[in-house]
This record gives sequence, structure tokens and C-alpha cells, in this order.
Amino acid sequence: MIGLDSATVRFGSRTIIEGLSFSVPVGRTLAILGPNGRGKTTTLKAMLGFQPLDAGRRIAPSIVGYVPQTGTSNQRYRALDVAVMGRAAHLGIFGQPGPEDFAIAHSALERAGAARFADHYFDRLSGGERQLVLLARAIATGSEALVLDEPAAALDLHNQERLLTLLNTLRQPRDKAIVFTTHDPNHALSSADDALLMMPGGQPLFGPVAETITPQHLENLYGVPMRVVELAGPSGETHQAVLPAFAGIRAA
Amino acid sequence: MVSLTRFASRGLLAASLSGLLAHGAAAQEITFKDQENREVKLAKAAERIVSIVIPMASTVIALDGGTKKLVGMNPTAKSAVLEGILSKIFPETKDIPSDVTAPNFVPNIEALTATNPDLVIQWGGRGNDIVAPITNAGLNAMLILYGTEQLTRDYMTMTSKAIGKPERIKELVDWRDRVQKDIEAKAKAIPDDKKPSTLYIARALSEIATTGTKGSYNAWYMELVGGRNASAELNGTVTINKEQIAQWDPEIIFLNAFEAKLDVNWVYNDPILSLTKAAKNKRVYKMPLGGYRWDPPNQESPLAWMWTANLTQPDVFKYDLRAEMKTAYKTLYNYDITDADIDGILWMKEQGGSANYAQFKAK
Amino acid sequence: MVRRAHLARQTLVFSGLLALFAVAFVVSLCVGRFAVPPTRALELIWLGATDPWRELATIDERIVLLVRAPRVVLAALAGAGLALSGAALQGVFRNPLVSPDILGISQGAAFGGALGIMLGIWGFPLISMVFLSGMAAVVLVGLISRINGRSETITVILSGLVVSSMFSAVVSLLQFVADPNTSLPAIVYWLMGSFATATWERTLIAAPGLIIGGAFLWMLRFRLNILSLDEAEAQSLGAKTNRERWMVFGLIAVIVGSQVAVSGIIGWIGIVIPHASRLLVGHDHRALLPASVVLGAGFMVIIDTLARTATAAEIPLGVITALVGAPIFAMLLRNHYRERSGS
Repeated sequence: MIGLDSATVRFGSRTIIEGLSFSVPVGRTLAILGPNGRGKTTTLKAMLGFQPLDAGRRIAPSIVGYVPQTGTSNQRYRALDVAVMGRAAHLGIFGQPGPEDFAIAHSALERAGAARFADHYFDRLSGGERQLVLLARAIATGSEALVLDEPAAALDLHNQERLLTLLNTLRQPRDKAIVFTTHDPNHALSSADDALLMMPGGQPLFGPVAETITPQHLENLYGVPMRVVELAGPSGETHQAVLPAFAGIRAA
Repeated sequence: MVSLTRFASRGLLAASLSGLLAHGAAAQEITFKDQENREVKLAKAAERIVSIVIPMASTVIALDGGTKKLVGMNPTAKSAVLEGILSKIFPETKDIPSDVTAPNFVPNIEALTATNPDLVIQWGGRGNDIVAPITNAGLNAMLILYGTEQLTRDYMTMTSKAIGKPERIKELVDWRDRVQKDIEAKAKAIPDDKKPSTLYIARALSEIATTGTKGSYNAWYMELVGGRNASAELNGTVTINKEQIAQWDPEIIFLNAFEAKLDVNWVYNDPILSLTKAAKNKRVYKMPLGGYRWDPPNQESPLAWMWTANLTQPDVFKYDLRAEMKTAYKTLYNYDITDADIDGILWMKEQGGSANYAQFKAK
Repeated sequence: MVRRAHLARQTLVFSGLLALFAVAFVVSLCVGRFAVPPTRALELIWLGATDPWRELATIDERIVLLVRAPRVVLAALAGAGLALSGAALQGVFRNPLVSPDILGISQGAAFGGALGIMLGIWGFPLISMVFLSGMAAVVLVGLISRINGRSETITVILSGLVVSSMFSAVVSLLQFVADPNTSLPAIVYWLMGSFATATWERTLIAAPGLIIGGAFLWMLRFRLNILSLDEAEAQSLGAKTNRERWMVFGLIAVIVGSQVAVSGIIGWIGIVIPHASRLLVGHDHRALLPASVVLGAGFMVIIDTLARTATAAEIPLGVITALVGAPIFAMLLRNHYRERSGS
């Protein structure tokens, strides 16, 4: 389980989040939605323990599998060596990863779909590939909680599709509490059970996707009229998709 | 600025001209060229002298026959005074300030000015940075050069002139000349293969430093007395290692008198140096410390040469060093040196057991 | 398959480095200003290694086993320690351009040493003083750079600069008041950095700090990979980044303090060797640290052998390390910023 309980964070006189409570039990996936500057990142940092709380408390296991947007290290490590870093918490400060840890790291790379570049240097990979390696590292921690920071932000449509598929495969066994932030409500529709909407005025909305991802709430959230459309899927089933009202209007 | 310099140089020219033309009229004024070829002009004989140059402090005392004119000196000169005989001959030397310069000859201009000197003796050939502060403070600087016996005689003569005792220098220079010629005459007969290799250790305790032949006064008198500088291949005073000394394997080792804690046991207790010919034959000697340390050129240099000569070529040179020292100390300092004084200067207690050292024992 | 190639390459590189070191070590024992035939020197090395307590009577025995051997061993230990410290420091700072001088350790240690020499201290008390003042410099850097409970890299580096200047000013002051005949030349010479005065005694004084500090850093090699990551990432992986970073600094202070105490300040090794090692084995500290140790030891031995054999006079170590190090550093600087502006 991961979440916050009546959490408040202030930067000086500005209150970023106030009395925020939500929790993600093992087996469920939460999408945090909202435009920039509403405290998405602060909420994420608070959950991970990087952001001290002015009030309330954090609910989290001792190690959380964290997937940053981009690995910022300028050090040249192989992807496998990056993935095996996920084992650090189990090894202690003087510990060294053994064959078992490498096996875990390797299967994590497989799970993240990154096994094919296990021996490539991390800093030579594309942004999308790096993200997969970082995901593998988070999986290798063995934590029941995974937190992804804007996983789709830097991806083109093709890679977005792959990422969402991957998130769903991770979600399927229902053995992890997964949290990700995103700008796009469609990501929540396709890969999350719950959503947390960082509403204007500091009153976030938390609940199952079906109740929270509605045109009305989204209109509140983004400040533009929104539409929900029904689309036919490849095998005849129907999908819901969310679009801003300006979508599809042709330029005159 | 320009006009001032022009004025000043015109003034100097006029002064030197008047000095040349009218001896009587400007009798008090003293003008000469120092060893950097600068004109030094004193309104009258210098009464208050500061020597930033280390060995010149005791030389000024010797030239004047007293301490009255020395008002400031280098701390290294002061330590020689305190460790050596001068503080006994002239107890008041203890009170002469030594804060006039930093260890690297950079003048401490406030302390220097406070001594109110009318002449400051400074090294030439070491750049303007150690000279400009003196002249900028409006003080008279006399620059001298290190290295050869001739330079030494010249700057001693110059100093003697500056303090208004030009007659004093003659007997000192004559003495130097006499002793040098005597040594040269006797050394001429020594064949090259009878010249022992000698090594002067300029520093021992922090690192080992020794000196090449070119420009080194120590090497000059070691060769004067019939020795060969073991470290001739070096250029200037540089750091070496013990392995190099083992390779040279000198027959005689002279240790500097600068390091108070250094004595011959430094060689005898060392696993490498104790295996050199010098150590095996007990021919290791620390330079004496008299009115000044005998290593560099100073007023007592002829004594240093005779001491070195007797030790380097004992079959050729048989100077009665004790008698020479008694005469010299009477002449230089008007002091009747005692046998105990001489024992102290020559380190009889510390190195009386060295080879050929019994000759220096009191009879 | 690829992994096997990686392993094969690492094995090759390490064998090469070890062979280079072994050759440098043995050759260094065989050459010097005193002529000892190489075969005789090898025989003496063998005798010394098999029967270390034997009586050394002849000059060539003493030259090889009492002058060269401790000097070569000390140079190897110092080079290894400096390179290791540099590699670890560059890891935790995520910056290949920092070196042990940056934390003020070298200047802090220099202060302790200069003070010790002035007070006439020698041996273990001196090394303790050097170590403690090096450590004090690190603590001072820590206190200055710690703002709101944590230290930003740039503040640490700037604080290191401040503390360094402060300590070097105090060292200058000590030189000013030191006795020009005794302690001043000792301080000046020692600050220049040299192994010329190496003895077994000195080597044994420096060895524990170098070996223990080095062993702990070696044990931290995987942790250094973690600490080389972005702050948040490292924390998310369970690292107490601030505390562990200072622990690394402390170990480096032990190593550099021990080295400085016996052989003065030696520049460039801590920056050039880790860089060369990175080119050879990559950035992973599990390979980088041992590669830096072996290369640093070998490089230092070669440099010092040049210093003591090239001419009758000892060439100051700093001259050679700077001549070799500065151009490499310039190249490194350009590459570093070119890569940055490129990506």
C-alpha cells in the first residue's frame, strides 16, 4: 500500500497540497492527473518521502520502486548494471550484488521489455529505452509499490502505446500498488483503476476512474470543455476516449 | 615623475662629479657603485646599517670592530649570533632586531623603517621585488652579489667604505689574499689522483641538498685546498637522494653549520651513508660556527679554508688553526679567544674523534 | 554472449594493468643512481622477499632493500590511494573534474603537517595531526555547505575552495614564522611532495590509513554506483545519501591524510588516473576502483622512478605529475563540456 494521510505541504506562504488523503492498495493502479503547477510532482515526492510534510503522514513500504522521467546520471553504466542497482536496499551499504541479484535484475529487464539491451550502455540508449531500464530497476527492488513520474511525457505515440501496454502487463498480476502521473486522461482510462485529479482551488478529487474521469470533472480540472467519445476497438469492443472540445475543429 | 627622476639623476651626477673634483669640500659625502652597478650616495658615513644579507651582519660587526652600527639583521644571522661566539663577545647583539626581513629576503618594510637605517645591505641578482620596497621607502640600498671570493672582497671593501672606515678593510683583504696564495702554492704540487672527492651537504634533515661547482663558494674552497667536488655535475643547490651519495661514494663529507640539530652521527647512523668511504674512514666533519658559520663567504673565511685544507690534505697542510684563530679573533673582534671557545667553535666534543681532528686539540 | 565479451574485455584490461604494475614495480627496484646490476637486484629482491629479517651488510643490499624498496612501496600505496580517492570522489560528486584537493583535504592536511613540523612532531603523532586537520577541513566544508539540512554539490565545491584558501593562507603564515634554518626548508620541501625521504618506518606509518581507508572504499564500490545517481534516485534505492557521502569524504580524508603526512601534496594523480581508468573499464565503480588502484600505483611508481633516476638531482614530483596531468586534464575538460553541450 502507498499513499498519503492528511498531508500538507507548503512552500513559504504558498500551500501546495492541503490535507490530501488517498491510498493505493496492492493490486490497484492510480493515475494522478492535472495541469502543471497543481502539485502533481509535490504529491509524488511526498509519497516517495523526498518531500517533508508540514502535516499529515506518508503511507509507504520502506522501499518504493521509483521510475524517474529520465535517468540523470552522466556515468556510463550498462543497462544490466543499472537494473541491478534496484537490489541496493537488500544488500546494505557494504553489500555487493551476487549472481542471484543479477538474475533478478535480468528478469526485471525482461519484464520491462528491456532485456535486449541489457549489455548496452545506459547513456547511449534513447529516452524511451532508458525509461524501460529504470522501470526494470524499480521492479528489481522487489517493492510492492511502483511510482512512475510522467512516464509518457517524453514519448511519441508509438512508444506511448507500448508503455501503456507494459503498464497493463505489470498491472495484470495484481501484485503491486502502482502510481503514475500524467497530463492525458486517456492514459488513466486505459491503465488505471483509480484517479486523483488535482483540482483548482486545492480540493483534489480521488476515486475510481469511472467516477472521476468524467467530462464535467475534467472540464473543472483543465479549464476547457471536454468530451467523452466512444470508439470501436480492434476486436469490436467499445473504448472510451476523452478529448478537449476543440479537438477535431478544422482550421479555417 | 619623469622630471623628478631626471632631477635626481642630475643630482647624483653632480654629486659624484663634485666628489671627484673637490675631495675636500665634500669630504663627508660617500658615493660608490654597488655590485648591481647602482650608484649609492651617502650624505655621510653610515651610522645605522641593516643587513638583510645573512653573512654580512657579522661582517659589519667585524669591520666596525663593534656592534653599534648594526641595527638590524636577518633572523638566520641572528641565530648564528645566538648559537655562536658573537653573543659572548658582544652580548648586546642579542637585542639587535631581526624582524626586518622574511626568510626569503623580502624586507618587512615597517620593521625595517623603524630601525631608521641609513644603509640597507641587500642581495643583488635576485630581482627587483626584494629591492624596490627598500628604495620606495626612501632608504639607501646597497646590493651585493654572492658567489666568488673576488665579489666577497669587493663588497666587504665597499661596506668598509660606507661605514667610513676604508682603512680597516686592507688588513682583512690582505689576510685573505695571503692565505689564499699560500694554499694555492702548496696545493699546486698535489697530483689529481691524490685529490679526495669531497661532498658538502647543504641541507640534511628535511631533505638532502648539495651543490654543484659552478657558482658555489663551498665548491670553490674545497677545490682550492686540493679536493674534488663529488657533486660537481649538479647545477646549483638541489635535492639529491642517498643512493646518489652512495654512487659518488665521497671520501670526505662536510656537513653544513646551518642546521643546529645536525651532527656527524647523522652520517654514522645512516644505513647507507655509513657505508661511504668518508664514514668508514671517519672523515665526516660539520663546518664550524665562529663569528659566523664557516660555510659561506664571511669575514672568517681564511680560517674556514685552513680548517678545510688541514682536513682534506693533512700531509700538505699543517696550519696551526688555534694560533690563527687567536690572531684572527683579536684582529676581527679585538677579542682574546679562549681554548674553550675554540673547542666550541670547532665542535671538538662532537667530532673530536674524527680522522685528523686531533691536530685541532689544545696543546 | 555480449556479457561474455564484456567479461573477456575486463579480464584482458585487468591482466594488462596488473602486468604493467608488476613490471614497473620490479624495474623500479632495479634502477637507480647507484649502479646495481639488474640480475643482482633481482636476486636481492628475492632474498628480501623470502627472508625479510636478514642482516643487510653490503651497500647494494641496503640500496635495494632499504632505500628503493620502501620508496617504491610507498609510491605505489600513495598512487593507489590518491587514484582511489579521486575515483570515489568523482562518483559521489557525479563530476569527473573534482579531485581530493577540492574538499580542502589536501590543504587542511598540509596545515596539520606544517604545524607538526614546526612543533617538531614526527611519526604517528604527526600523521594523526595531518589526518585530523584534513578531517577538520572536511567538517568545515560540511558545516559551511550544509543549508537546510543538506549540501548541494556546487555549495560543497565552493565551500571546499573557501576552506582550501583559508588553510593555504594559514600554511603561508606558518612558513613566515617558521625557523628558516630548520623547520622552514622542511615545510617547503614537504609541501612540494616527494618520496625522496621514504624509509620503511615512514611507509609503515602511512600504510594502515591507506590500506584501511582503501579497503572501506573498496567495500563501498557498489554503493558508490548508487551514490553517483541523482539524489532522489539514490534515496529511492535506499541510500542515506547525505550520511553516506560524508562517510566517503571521511575515508578519503584518512587516505589523503596518511599520504600527505609522509610524502606531501601530490597533485593530478587523483584526477588523471580515474579518468584513464574510466576509459579502460567504464564507469562502474566495481571495476573502476580496482583499475584506478592498479593504474594509480603503477603510474606513481613510474613517475617517482623518473624523479629519482633521470638526473643526479631529484626532480620534484609535482613537476612531472603536472606536465603529464595538466594536458590530460585539459583534454578531459573539453570532452566533458563538449559531451554536455552535445546532449
